[in-house]
Amino acid sequence: MGSAPRSGRAAVAAQRRARAAEVWREFAATRSGLVGLVLLAAVFAVALLAPVLVPLETLDVTRLTAASNEPPSAAHLLGTDPSGRDVLGMLVWGARVSLLVGFAATAVSMVIGTLVGMAAGHFTGLTQAVIMRVVDFFLVVPSLVLAIVLSSVLSRGLWTIVIAIGVTSWASTARVVRSQTLSIEARPYIERARALGGGDGHILGRHVLPAVLPLVLANTTLTVGSAVIAESTLSFLGLGDPTQFSWGSMLKSALDTGAATAGFWWFVLPPGLAIVVVVLCFTLVGRALESVLNPTLRGR
Amino acid sequence: MSGAQQPAGAALEWRDVTIGYRRGDGGELVAVDGVSLSVPRGGTVGLAGESGCGKSTMAMSVLRLLPRSARITGSILVGGEDVATMSWGRLRAVRWTEAAIVFQGAMHSLNPVRTVRRQIREALELHSSPATRTPAQRDARVAELLALVDLPAARAEAYPHELSGGQKQRVMIAMALACDPEVIIADEPTTALDVVVQAQVLDVLSGLVRDRGLTLVMISHDLSVLAAVCERIVVMRHGRIVEEGPSEQILGSPRHEHTRELAAAFPVIGDPGSRRVVGRAAVTRLRARESGAPEEDGGPAAGVPAAPDGAAATHAEDTATPLLEVRDLVVDFRSRGQHVRAVDHVSLRCRAGEIVALVGQSGSGKTTLARTVLGLQRPTSGQVLHRGVPLPTARAALKAYRRAVQFVLQDPSASLNPKHTVYEAVAEGLRIHRLPGDERERVAAALTQAELTPPEQFFARIPQELSGGQRQRVVIAGALALEPSFLVADEPVASLDASVRGEILALLLRLQRELGLGALVITHDLGLAWNIADRVVVMHQGRLVEDGPVEQVLLDPQHDYTRTLLDVVPSRLGARL
Repeated sequence: MGSAPRSGRAAVAAQRRARAAEVWREFAATRSGLVGLVLLAAVFAVALLAPVLVPLETLDVTRLTAASNEPPSAAHLLGTDPSGRDVLGMLVWGARVSLLVGFAATAVSMVIGTLVGMAAGHFTGLTQAVIMRVVDFFLVVPSLVLAIVLSSVLSRGLWTIVIAIGVTSWASTARVVRSQTLSIEARPYIERARALGGGDGHILGRHVLPAVLPLVLANTTLTVGSAVIAESTLSFLGLGDPTQFSWGSMLKSALDTGAATAGFWWFVLPPGLAIVVVVLCFTLVGRALESVLNPTLRGR
Repeated sequence: MSGAQQPAGAALEWRDVTIGYRRGDGGELVAVDGVSLSVPRGGTVGLAGESGCGKSTMAMSVLRLLPRSARITGSILVGGEDVATMSWGRLRAVRWTEAAIVFQGAMHSLNPVRTVRRQIREALELHSSPATRTPAQRDARVAELLALVDLPAARAEAYPHELSGGQKQRVMIAMALACDPEVIIADEPTTALDVVVQAQVLDVLSGLVRDRGLTLVMISHDLSVLAAVCERIVVMRHGRIVEEGPSEQILGSPRHEHTRELAAAFPVIGDPGSRRVVGRAAVTRLRARESGAPEEDGGPAAGVPAAPDGAAATHAEDTATPLLEVRDLVVDFRSRGQHVRAVDHVSLRCRAGEIVALVGQSGSGKTTLARTVLGLQRPTSGQVLHRGVPLPTARAALKAYRRAVQFVLQDPSASLNPKHTVYEAVAEGLRIHRLPGDERERVAAALTQAELTPPEQFFARIPQELSGGQRQRVVIAGALALEPSFLVADEPVASLDASVRGEILALLLRLQRELGLGALVITHDLGLAWNIADRVVVMHQGRLVEDGPVEQVLLDPQHDYTRTLLDVVPSRLGARL
């Protein structure tokens, strides 16, 4: 191909850059979204630097020097847990698991939701009816119960939790994507693409997918928050990976060891607050993104 | 009428009015530029011009309905009183009791959740007069108003969605008349209406003007619609008045270039000067006629196509197997348990290199017929044949056919993906069909054929940066890139401005002449058929009622329905009223 596709693509790339810059400008104008983003970036940095900040050996039960349930002090800023481990260190390591599971599960959920939603919106007749009934099934079955069943049936581990959450949380995304697909497909340029000879793949890939992606992106940030909660819940119920630190499993051990009832607040509050802050940040960012990408929501 | 009761002073007057809109970047967009115009009591004036020429801004300024960003200089007088100096209370009284507006787009100007009665009563309640004190009196007034616009009183209980487009427009007129205003401003009252309905609405309007001595200012882009109702026509362009005069003079012998363009867009059927001559060529023609040059002086340079004879010769040869044939086609739709027959046993043949105009009212099934011909809609029974071969029903097998028969849609703004560049839009078909050869060359060639030159300049543009006419050219280029043998165009110029309309039609004619590209052009506009078509097919309630060469069908119609359609062509309305 000559230089035209390249110049065409370069133009498209320039256009996308300009658009991205505009989205960023508008996003930066919403203060709550910016606060959420900054806090999230901090949490990310801490989670990534965990091995440097808190070497894993310091949390090794066999090499501990601190007593159990020590209140906060200069050596242990958030005290120690019933086994004498540093709570702050566990919190830092727990962020890794929470974020990893949150993002991986959301990715699974978004991929399934987008594909199913586009298919449900694009195809008509029997195909659509069948797909929508499946969506309805996942929408009405309490996803936590389903996730509990899934993670107890499958072998225990981090990825089991990811799959359990991802497979149970895509239904609402599919609904949203479907309605957007229906609205896109009613536009005349889809008719033109058909008249040009474009098949299902062409229409879905070239016209529908780019149009639903912004919506999916805004949905993603909102879903990450609920995935983090789901992970904590599953870990709290003892379905997580026992070899990993996670905020949910910290809460579980606080309950199991009686730390919660004995008044050792430094072991109960931090993981709980961490969950709340991270979820809140994702929600703030998601809402800000949503209002940038969907101008009709502005000012609400 | 107007002459008899014309007291001194104008009902409506603009004195050196300039209106600008503040823009986001601090600059100003001048919509109306130093316009002076006076409308006498009982006078009827038509404001003509293309979109963006400032005609609606002028109308809205009368009742101070412009947005805050508008800055007005000069004075606007209603009944001798300056609107700018009116107090808020006085302005409210003037709105509707002295001057009322029939808004553009009746489809969206009515409240969908209120009955017609409540909406008309709203104006009566706000401007209560001794005659409309009690609810009973108001209801009586509503019935009276509906009768004025030829609607049965029972329709007062209807919600807007239960009314047809023409009925909604008449309700809007009734609302405007509610408080007996002296001045009525009608902003594109018939745009988006079907020709037949348009004629009815124009009838109602001109009847009211005649019987009640109203002062009417009507806005339209269609000179012949204005000529049907108004005594004088004012042509605007870029916020200025370019020509002003009695209707017959403006329509018959326009002096300004722009008026000629507008006039050429709405040809007089039967006028050989506009037969197969459109766009600039038609303007040249009009000018030539004006200066007294002989009609036949056009020559090829003036755009008279040489096609008809040549095309006619080839037609004779391949009558045996027409390029496209529709045999006894039936298309049914099921909606809420009801069967609607959109296309009712239609048979049609289109030869190669022939432009066929499919004419009919909205709802006559013409778009459904086109979609079925394109394989976008499955027929209930009957067949579509391409070069004598029935259309396959499987979608994959249709792909080859789709390359040969291409589609041009009504609204070019909506038929291009706003995110794709012109290059991508034109190359889309090439990529789908994986055509061999250099993609860039093919795209450039297609754009050149669609008269977007130099093509390289358009590659990276997105639809938003193009004008309406350019967008339609991109759609046509996208179709041409596949080297089709036939085009199906659904109202290809209905959403375009008058001067652009001529250009696009000229392009279709040139493609027919140079590439031998035939077309099935769907339209509600008989003038368009007269402009470019070889053959006219008239469709009514799903059936073809008449089919024949343009001259035969339009000059000597056989079917009653064709006659009705011809009667309501605006250029003839003037003669009838």
